[in-house]
Formats: sequence, C-alpha cells, structure tokens
Amino acid sequence: MLLLTPILIVPVLAGLLCLVVRPPRVMATLGVLAFSATLGLGIALVHQMLARGVVTEWNGFLSADALSAFMVLLISVVSLATSLYAGRYFQRDLAAGAATPGRIREFFVLTPLFGAGMFLVVLANNLGVMWAAVEGTALASVLLVALYNRRNSLEAAWKYVILGSMGLALALMGTVFVYAAACKNNPDSLPSFNWSYLMSVASQLDPHLVKLAFVFAFVGYGTKAGLAPMHTWLPDAHSEAPSPTSAMLSGVSLKIALYALLRFHILATACVGSEFSRYFLLGFGLFSMLLAPPFILVQRNLKRMLAYSSLEHIGLICTGIALNTPITIFGALLHMGYHALTKPVLFFAAGNIHQTFHSLEFRVIGPGVVKVLPVTVLLMGVAALAAIGLPPFGLFLSELTVISGGLAAHQTTVSVLILLALLASFCGILQQLTRILLGARKPGDHLSDSRPMDGVPAMAMLLGGLLLFSVWLPAPLLDLLHQAAAIIGGAP
Amino acid sequence: MNVLAIPLQTLLLLALSPLVSGCIKNWKAKLQNRRGPRPWQVYFDIAKFLRKDMVISEHASWIFSFAPYVVFLTALLTGLMVPMINTPAPLSLFGGVLAVVGLLALGRFFLALGGLDPASAFGGMGSSREMTISAIAEPAMMLAIFTVAITAGSTDLSQIALSTQSATGRLLNPAHVLAFAALFIVLLAETGRIPIDNPATHLELTMIHEAMLLEYSGRYLAFMEWGASIKQLVLMTLLLNVFFPVGLAGPGAGPTALGLSLLAFLAKLLVLSAAVVVVETCNAKMRLFRVPDLLSAAFVLATLALLSSFLFH
Amino acid sequence: MNPPASTDLSAQVVTLMAALMLVVQLLMIAQRMLLTNIRLFAIQSLLLAAIAAVLAYHYNASHVYVVAVLTIIGKVIFLPWLLNRLVRRMQIHEEIEPMLNAPTSMLLCGGLTLLGYVVARPFTSLARVGNNTLGIALTLLLTGFFLMINRRKALTQVLALLTVENGVMLAAVALTTYGMPLVVELGIFFDVLVAVMVLGILVYRIRENFASMDTSKLNQLKG
Repeated sequence: MLLLTPILIVPVLAGLLCLVVRPPRVMATLGVLAFSATLGLGIALVHQMLARGVVTEWNGFLSADALSAFMVLLISVVSLATSLYAGRYFQRDLAAGAATPGRIREFFVLTPLFGAGMFLVVLANNLGVMWAAVEGTALASVLLVALYNRRNSLEAAWKYVILGSMGLALALMGTVFVYAAACKNNPDSLPSFNWSYLMSVASQLDPHLVKLAFVFAFVGYGTKAGLAPMHTWLPDAHSEAPSPTSAMLSGVSLKIALYALLRFHILATACVGSEFSRYFLLGFGLFSMLLAPPFILVQRNLKRMLAYSSLEHIGLICTGIALNTPITIFGALLHMGYHALTKPVLFFAAGNIHQTFHSLEFRVIGPGVVKVLPVTVLLMGVAALAAIGLPPFGLFLSELTVISGGLAAHQTTVSVLILLALLASFCGILQQLTRILLGARKPGDHLSDSRPMDGVPAMAMLLGGLLLFSVWLPAPLLDLLHQAAAIIGGAP
Repeated sequence: MNVLAIPLQTLLLLALSPLVSGCIKNWKAKLQNRRGPRPWQVYFDIAKFLRKDMVISEHASWIFSFAPYVVFLTALLTGLMVPMINTPAPLSLFGGVLAVVGLLALGRFFLALGGLDPASAFGGMGSSREMTISAIAEPAMMLAIFTVAITAGSTDLSQIALSTQSATGRLLNPAHVLAFAALFIVLLAETGRIPIDNPATHLELTMIHEAMLLEYSGRYLAFMEWGASIKQLVLMTLLLNVFFPVGLAGPGAGPTALGLSLLAFLAKLLVLSAAVVVVETCNAKMRLFRVPDLLSAAFVLATLALLSSFLFH
Repeated sequence: MNPPASTDLSAQVVTLMAALMLVVQLLMIAQRMLLTNIRLFAIQSLLLAAIAAVLAYHYNASHVYVVAVLTIIGKVIFLPWLLNRLVRRMQIHEEIEPMLNAPTSMLLCGGLTLLGYVVARPFTSLARVGNNTLGIALTLLLTGFFLMINRRKALTQVLALLTVENGVMLAAVALTTYGMPLVVELGIFFDVLVAVMVLGILVYRIRENFASMDTSKLNQLKG
C-alpha cells in the first residue's frame, strides 16, 4: 500500500482546494482533515517501517527511514495543531479588521503547501530534490510571514528571504560538491543522486570534496535552521508572522532545515569520520545556546523572546548530536519531539494575547494578564514551565539525558556550558513571563475584547500529548527513536 | 635591412598618424549624420600650424618650448619600438615594454608641465586632470602589457608578437582577452576619447587634453598635435600587433610578405578605428569624478588578466 | 555516452566564456543603472547557457542541451522581462550611492577573485573540459554576496542573488560529469523562477509601503 505518496499529495490537494472554497471555516476544516490524515498515515508508516525496514516508493525516489518517519510525525502533529488554532484565530482577525478575506485565503492555501514541502524534504531520497523542497518551504513561509503587509512584517520577510536565499545558494553549492564527489567516483555514467546510494559508496568518495561540501551545506542549511551567528532573521520572522505561522516555523521548520543538515553530517561522518563535522555542530550549537539568554533577558516583545528561546533549543539539539554518543543523540531527538509539542502552545497563547491587547510589547500587555485571560495563561504557564525544562515534562528528561550523556563521555566542559546556558534561559524566561502574566492589572485598564476560551482545543491537544509522552513513551515510538539515533550515529 | 627600417617606419608613422585621426573625425561625423571634415584635413591643419606665427605667454619658461619636441620625439621613438609591418621592430632599447611605458610617461609628464608652465588657469586644470587619469590608467596599461609579456616569456614587443603568432590558441586565452579589454579602455584614456575626454571641445568643464594645448600656437601646436596623433597610432599598433599579430611578417621577409603585412595592418587599423568611433558615438562623456570608476574597472580587468595567465596556463 | 570530440577548442571556448561571465559580474558591480544591470544579468545567463551547450556538444550528452534551453528561456528571457516590468512599474531606475564606491568595490572584488581561485586550486584537477571554471564559480558566489551587501536597492539584491545562482550552476556544469540529473535541474530551475516571483511580490509591497526600494529604511526591527 502506498504510504509516502498520499502523505505528500493530501496536503497539496487541501491547499489547492482552498483556492476555490469560499468560507474560512471550510478552509480551516480542510486543513485539519488533511493533517489528521497525514498523522494517521505517519503512524501507519512508523508501523510499516519498524516491521519491514526502510520504506521506499517510486523506485527509490521517496524513501523513509526512522529519522524521516519521526519527522513526518512531528510535522503532522504541529501542522494539525496549527490548523485547529488557525480557524478561530483568523475568524477573530477578520472580525477585528486586521486581515482581509484574501489574506486569509492566502494563509489557508499556503500553509498546507508549506506542510507538503516539509514532507517532501524528509521523504525525498534525492539530495537535489531535498534542496528544492527546502527552498520551496522557504518561499511559502516568506509569503506567510509577510501576510499582514505591515511595514515590520515586510521588513522581517525581506530579511528572511534574503538571508534564507543566500544560505540556500550556499547549500546548493554544497549539494553540487557532493554530486561532484559521486561523479569523480563514477566517471563513466551518471551516478545516482540518492542519499541511500551516496551512503553506500561513502567510503570511496573524495574526502576533500566531501569536507568542502559539508562546510557549504552547514553554513547554508544552518542559516535556515537558525544557528547563530546566521540567526539574525529568526527573531524578526517568527515575531512578525501571524501566530499560527510562527508556531509552524518555530515548531518544525527549523527542524526540517536541521534534518537536511543532519543528512550531510551523516554522509560526512561516513566518509571522513565524525571528527570533522561534529566540531562544526558543537561550536555553532554551543554558540547559539550561549547567545540566546542575554537576548531573552533584554526582550520587550513576547514573540521575539519566544523566538530566542527556539534558538536556544535548536542549539541544544545540535550540541546533543555533536556529542556523538548514543545517549546524547537519543536525548537530542527526544528534545526535538518535545520542543515541537511545547513551542506551538506558547505561540498560540501569544497569539491570543496579541489579539486581546493588540500589541506584543510587555509594557502594553502589562502585569496581570491572568486576570484577563485565565485559561490561556494557565495553559501558557504550563507550556512555559515545560519549555524551560522543569520536571515532570519531557524537556527536562531530554535535557538531562544530553547532559548526563555528555558527562559520561567525559565532555565535562561542554556539559557544564550547556547547563549554564539552560540555567540562564530558565531564569530569563521565568522572570519575563512572571512579570507579565502574574500580578494585578494596572488601575484604569479595561479590556472588553477578551475571549478566554480561544484556541484551547489546539493548545490542550498539544499539552496533553506532551504530558502523555513525558511519562510514557510507547514501545514503537521508543524503537523508532533508537533507530533514528542509530542512523545519526553512523550505523548503516 | 635594419638601417632602412628606421627611416621607413618613421615615415610611415609620420604619414599615417594624421590620416588615422582624420578618418576617426570623419566617421564620427558621418555616424552622427553630419558631413564632417575630409579625412586628410589634418595634414592641411598641421601644415597651416607650421606656417603660422607663435604667440607665447610672458610667464612661460624654457619648458614651454621644450615640451612639444619631447612629446613628439618620445611618441616617435615609441613608435619605432613597436612592430608595425614586420618583426623585429626597428629599434629595441633596453627593457622593451618597460622602455615603451617609460617613454610614454615621459611624454605625458612634459605635456602636463607644458600645460602648467604658461600660468594659465585652463592649462593647470587640464594638467591636474590628466595626471589624475594617468595615475590609474598607467598601472592598468602596465599590468595588461606585462600579462602578455609573461605568457610570451619576454618583454621585447617583437618577441611577444612572434610568440603569440606561433601559438594561435592563445588568441582565445582569457588572459589575452581580458588584457585586450583593459588596454582598449586605456587606449581611450590615453588618446583623450569619449567617454573620458572630449577631443572636440574647449569648454572649461569638459576638456582635459585640449586644456593643456590651449596656450600653444604655431609650430609648437603642430608638434603637439602631431605627437598626440602619433601616440594614438602607436597605442593602436601595440594593441593590434601584440594581441592579433595575424599577417605580421617575420624577420627577413621578402617584399610580397611585407606588402601583405602592410595591407593586413591597415585592415586591422580600420577595424579598430571603427570600434573607437562606435564607442565614442554611443557613449556620453563621463563626469570627471566617474572616470576613476571606469579606469579602476580597467585596472581590475588587467589584474584578472594577470591572475588568469598564472592560473589558466 | 560517446567519447568526446576535440578537446582543445571546446576547452578554450568554455574557459573564455567563463572569464567573460566574471567580467560581466564586475561590470554589474560598477554599474548603477538598474535596467543595465538586468541586461548584464541576461548576458551572463546567456554565457552560462552557451557553456552548457558547448559541453553538451563536447560530451554528446543530450540532457545538458535541455539545461541550456531552460536557462535561456528562464534566465535570459523570462526573468529579465519580469524584472524589467517591475522596474518600470515602480519607476525607479537608478541605484543609490552604495556603501563602497565603484573603484574600491572593484579592488575588493579583485581580492575576492584571488580568494576564489585559491580555494578552488586543490580541486581544479577535477574539472573536465574548462579547467579552472570552478575558481570563477566560487568568485561569482563571493562577488554576488558582496554585491548583495554593498547595494541598498531591493531589486539589486535580487539580481545579486541570481548571479550567485549562476555561479552555483557554473560549478555544477564544470564539476559534474554530464551535469546533474535532469529532475534536479528542473527542480532548481522552477525554484529560482518561483523565488524571483516571490521576491518581486515582496519588492512591490515594500515599494508601496515604504515609498522606496531602499532597504536601509528597513531598520525598525532590532535586538
């Protein structure tokens, strides 16, 4: 039974249907249906993959190993939550006059296409097609960031597209170099550009070319993944986009770019050993983690602060992978999953706050948001506690895994640095959020526009999933993660 | 043969250079839908200047009188060192290419001094502008010529022409093409053509070469003008015979070969003059502040040519 | 694939055209008129298509002809037409004073050329016909990035991005045996097309909102 192709086609169909459908509610429902379908297909894919190994279709054009299947699950979950939330969000925007029906249609057409692009990235076997898919998601998300057509949105979108395109041009160069290495190995006929083929001949590829390719691909895909110092587009794009899009960007889009980077990392490891590529990951990952807390502390805008928090988490994932022991890689993958469940909740709550207070600035939102939006603040508080790494949430577990794995591998300095960075961001986010969420409202402040129950289904779904998987990882999922960690660690 | 070559080439230089200037003026006019002066008008102009009386400023010193002869003679000497009809060129001083560049620089130096000497405002302005332009044009020219010299393995211009002739694959070599492009821009700069300088204007805002000549009259003006046109012919010959030595007769060639070489040379000269005319007509004169932009482009092209010659072998 | 025909002439022509691509890039850096820059980009893409065609002829690889044709249709005809239309709609024809003036930019780009060649040195033995075009490709990459940083008009930044793409395609053509697989080339081609269309939409919106294409006015989001 074909699994991979429907995963790609269903969101594309949903997006295209939204071009002709009129009422926003139907468009939202289409999105929800599409992503529920992909979630179901993803679960089926996991089962099939665990039973029979790598799943391929169309003569190896599409292929899903454990890492791909895991990413499919993440993308589906986050996109589903976003579609659930987006319906109510844009309904309110339409009523308030902040968005026109044309723009809303643009959102509901582009978002499933964005999702489909991301699916293609993780399912494509061909490195060139993977690049084209990453570029496709970048372009779709640029239009989404610029949705509101305000000055700041345009500035953010411009920065995003220029830096993103620059990065992707470099990544394309890296891809070309890899293919050149394959051609050098196979001078008589056109070698396949498939990742599986490249992995099989990895030991015969020219090490210099592969190293050069990795450097280009690292800088290129690293820009899209938001690694410092190429991250400057990140706070702008994630804060100026509409909240559903911010959730998808922070929740999965960064991880997709990281996935592409990891494919190159695995290839480079197979060719020249792990010492070369993991130092890049380690250096840039640690730099991202250490760069984020000061910016979190000085932030005055809620979504920008959340974006910097994403920077930190991506840094942690990179560092976990760079430490290169099975435990730390497993911890990094766990972190990927839990972060994808947590961050969107925070962005949805920020979206509620934005629509209620018509601003994201701390001084406008003021202290005591809990008096105005009690349910939102409750869910946001839970998500925030999860995000900063408190038990019993999964992020605590994954962070602990990475740090203890690092200590066990005698990488004490790195582990201490990770701990310090996490501590700093813990304090930063806690301080910022308690200042605005708790306390009493300023006198003379009346808001009639609060809708406390908005967006609750989406947020509750994600938080519920987070709590559930924090305490119980079903055996297939655990298996999947172990296999994915093994792939990254260099096992065939 | 060698003894005869010097007066023959001198004669050719003296006779051909005004014709080239005249042709360029005529074709430019035709391209602009005017009738223009006859191509041989320049001969009559030079003859007229030689006949006329001179008026010299009372502030001028011996430099003013010395400069026209220096300009004329350096141009002529340089012309003798460039292979026109056959190789080797009649005169080959120490250093070949270096001597050519040095002599041209000497001529330009005295030209500028001659503009400054009579203490006229226009002359001083022209001299300073000329020096600004040559500050960037000269390195570009040197780099471009050195590029070809390096590929040929010698600084003697005749040698360079011969070696390019023997390896025709060199014609498409990027180093060659880039050096040619750089030298073409330098040609425009050195001969004072649009887009760098307008040779037909006497407005303060726009003249450079003409400004330095403004105080000259009579015999001195004749030599200045003649020297300038000889310099133009020399640079064109350099450009043609070093980069496209097609049809250039070798050493010890018979009269038929020499005749063919002369025809080939005239044909190439025609094409290059046409190119200069087209460039002059299609472009407007650049503002003085923008001229360094164009010349630094020539400099970078020449640098690239040099780089390419090392890296493309 | 049949064995190649005479090597010398094709190699020379390819090398020459690659060098001309570099010259066009330098002209773009020194040039300020937007319409001329678009024309220069079209010339550069035409040179790239010609290189692909020569290599296709040399190696008798017919799918590389497809690449050449795609490049001509897309980058020589369609994209310049699109960008021209954008410029005329927005009525802005000249670039503003860049950060570094033209002579300094040219010198810097000379340095970047040297850097490109130096980085490409260890790999030049890999290039098939057209030795050292990898150096030029890397140089196009570096100078394209420089152009993006130096200029402030949004449209010039788009052009700079496109020249970087040209550089990458030149590297692909120079390094790989018979070019990249057709599906990849098609994917890249359509991506570039869509990218320029998206960028065009953004540039138009920026012009409407900010009344200018000057990207230095986009300076509100900081920290």
